[in-house]
Amino acid sequence: MSEANAQISSVAFSVIVWRYSTSDFTPENFICCRLIVQYKPERYRSHGQVTHFRGFTCNWGLWIVVNKAIADYLSSNGYMDALEAFKKEADMPGEVERKYGGLLEKKWTSVIRLQKKVMELESKLSEAEKEFIEGAPTRGKRSPTEWIPRPPEKYCLSGHRAPVTKVIFHPVFSVMVSASEDATLKVWDFETGEYEKSLKGHTDSVQDISFDQTGKLLVSCSADMTIKLWDFQNYECIKTMHGHDHNVSSVTFMPGGDFVVSCSRDKTIKMWEVATGYCVKTFTGHREWVRMVRVSPDGSLIASCSNDQTIRVWAAASKECKVELRDHDHVVECIAWAPDVASSAINEAAGADNKKGAHAGPFLASGSRDKTIKVWDVGTGMCLFTLVGHDNWVRGVVFHPGGKFIVSASDDKSLRVWDTRNKRCQKTLEAHQHFCTSLDFHKTHPYVISGSVDQTVKVWECR
Amino acid sequence: MSTGSYEDHCPFDCDPVQFGRTILDLKSAVADAVHCSVICGCIWGFVILYVNESMNPATIPTVVEDLQGDGRWISMHKRFLIETKEKEPDVVFIGDSLIQRLVHTEMWNNFFAPMHALNFGIGGDQIQNVLWRIENGELDNISPKVVVVLVGTNNFNCTAEQIAEGIMELVRVIREKQPDAYIVLPTLLPRGQNPNPLRERNAEVNKLVHSKVSAMPKCEIVAIDKGFIQPDGTISHHDMHDYLHLTNSGYSKAFEPVYELLLQLLSEGETEKDLTPSE
Repeated sequence: MSEANAQISSVAFSVIVWRYSTSDFTPENFICCRLIVQYKPERYRSHGQVTHFRGFTCNWGLWIVVNKAIADYLSSNGYMDALEAFKKEADMPGEVERKYGGLLEKKWTSVIRLQKKVMELESKLSEAEKEFIEGAPTRGKRSPTEWIPRPPEKYCLSGHRAPVTKVIFHPVFSVMVSASEDATLKVWDFETGEYEKSLKGHTDSVQDISFDQTGKLLVSCSADMTIKLWDFQNYECIKTMHGHDHNVSSVTFMPGGDFVVSCSRDKTIKMWEVATGYCVKTFTGHREWVRMVRVSPDGSLIASCSNDQTIRVWAAASKECKVELRDHDHVVECIAWAPDVASSAINEAAGADNKKGAHAGPFLASGSRDKTIKVWDVGTGMCLFTLVGHDNWVRGVVFHPGGKFIVSASDDKSLRVWDTRNKRCQKTLEAHQHFCTSLDFHKTHPYVISGSVDQTVKVWECR
Repeated sequence: MSTGSYEDHCPFDCDPVQFGRTILDLKSAVADAVHCSVICGCIWGFVILYVNESMNPATIPTVVEDLQGDGRWISMHKRFLIETKEKEPDVVFIGDSLIQRLVHTEMWNNFFAPMHALNFGIGGDQIQNVLWRIENGELDNISPKVVVVLVGTNNFNCTAEQIAEGIMELVRVIREKQPDAYIVLPTLLPRGQNPNPLRERNAEVNKLVHSKVSAMPKCEIVAIDKGFIQPDGTISHHDMHDYLHLTNSGYSKAFEPVYELLLQLLSEGETEKDLTPSE
């Protein structure tokens, strides 16, 4: 054995002995083990073709490739004495082949990459196991009235180049649409997690999006002060509506699909005729930026919330402001009309006797920067109860289609599922790396989607 | 002779570009009282001498000269203006590179971003540059609850008194723009591996500012300069990699107290969370 050779051997041996006390399998270990196996063959090679060494399996076929990679490394870094000694020991006469160039480095980095992937998968697995142990129903046993989103997420979709402002499900197909401050809309398949299409046309942050009931038309609004109508069959922008004097913060279809309603930082709410693109009504009264506008399921009422800390409910036909709801101490970010099926749970939460039907509704939920969610009886203008738990601004609120839960998204980076009847937070999903800006619950399928300032959209399966 | 343009009548053989800024400031200062056209070169010379001695450059809003020629400074300023129009921050950080680099730290992501904070730091800025940016819109259109200002260590040709005066001018201008906001002044940090005059100057500034600000309402000083100078008088590169800018661990050391104070200020007036279980 040459001098260099002996040196490598003894160094490698001491390293491997030291490594033995630590227990991780790093690229260095890998090489050290390789060296020790090379230089102490009588000790470790005796089991034949496959050797068990420190719990992992050494495949000698692999070692031949590794040998060549090491030889390439030695030669390309000018360790010529070591190379010669190594070639002799490893029975590798002649030049080192080109194709092994850089192989060692590649293996080195790929081990780290794979290790990272393994760690990610392991943490996902442990989340899923935890869910299972805590008694979440299996896919086969879940029921549409009880299912709630559960970690880990099914998909984490990236593609937007700026914060995601809004996510919505298509009412018919298995696609969803996300809007972003990067001025685009993106269409994704939420069942496969595939990206489908980008809709470009806005020149500034897209703030809100909405489908009509058939899903053939999509409407979007933007900080560029316009509202755009998109034909969702060929993904073309068919109309651009101008009229607001500032950032348009929210937009939604009237149930019939003939009109859209929008609200803006210019303090107004406007109704637009889809067929002509003309503004047909303007609702004024809010004293500040109007953040969101939503139409009641029967189309008779329009609710809006504002930086002036109030929620107003308007008669869609007469433009009259029916009621002003005040109880939040900060900007009201979002609102959602309760479906009829939610009435009994809301009444129970409000402490009313169900048989007398104390609160007739309609009911509205609101989320605010004061970190709370409130549920209101719009008929009487009363705040029925408050859900406290989020640690930061509440940015999105939706009712569970089964009526028993309210789900919210917040700047505390979480999604929360609230058991309406008991007014308590039943589940918290640590959903994103940054503020959660929006969420949507699919009306019939077991999925929830969320969007975030971390620029991702996540799909959550419900069980 | 009667155009009033300084460049035409310069009594000294000076470079108008080099002196341009001083001259512009001078013009605006004296224009109201004396019409430029009647001032002859001699008087100009006298005024320059007088002004140079009595005026504090740190208190005169000044644009940063685009020495490199790529216009980055003004681009950043414009971007900040757009942010003020689109976002609704509760906290605004404004200042020099120490503020600017904070945005790339873990600390920012974990602690400051969740507070709805904006970062208007620009590397190399001196007090007069921040003054200019504030006077030109960076605190308009928004209503933050807290403005955090850290600038002054880059004012190379200024005395401690001048820097302290400049910081007070900043406080005045911020108060004017945001009457209801808290103003938080982290202290200037020590700099240089070994003891040096700039360290002493910064320490002196901290003392002066402290004496001036302590009685002002809604204005808070946070000492962030503790724990950087080691017993042997040196500053470790683990805290300040170039003996001026902070490392990640340096940022946690310096800005932890700022974070604590902000938490306190932002939660003011909020009802205490009821932690006792109901029923």
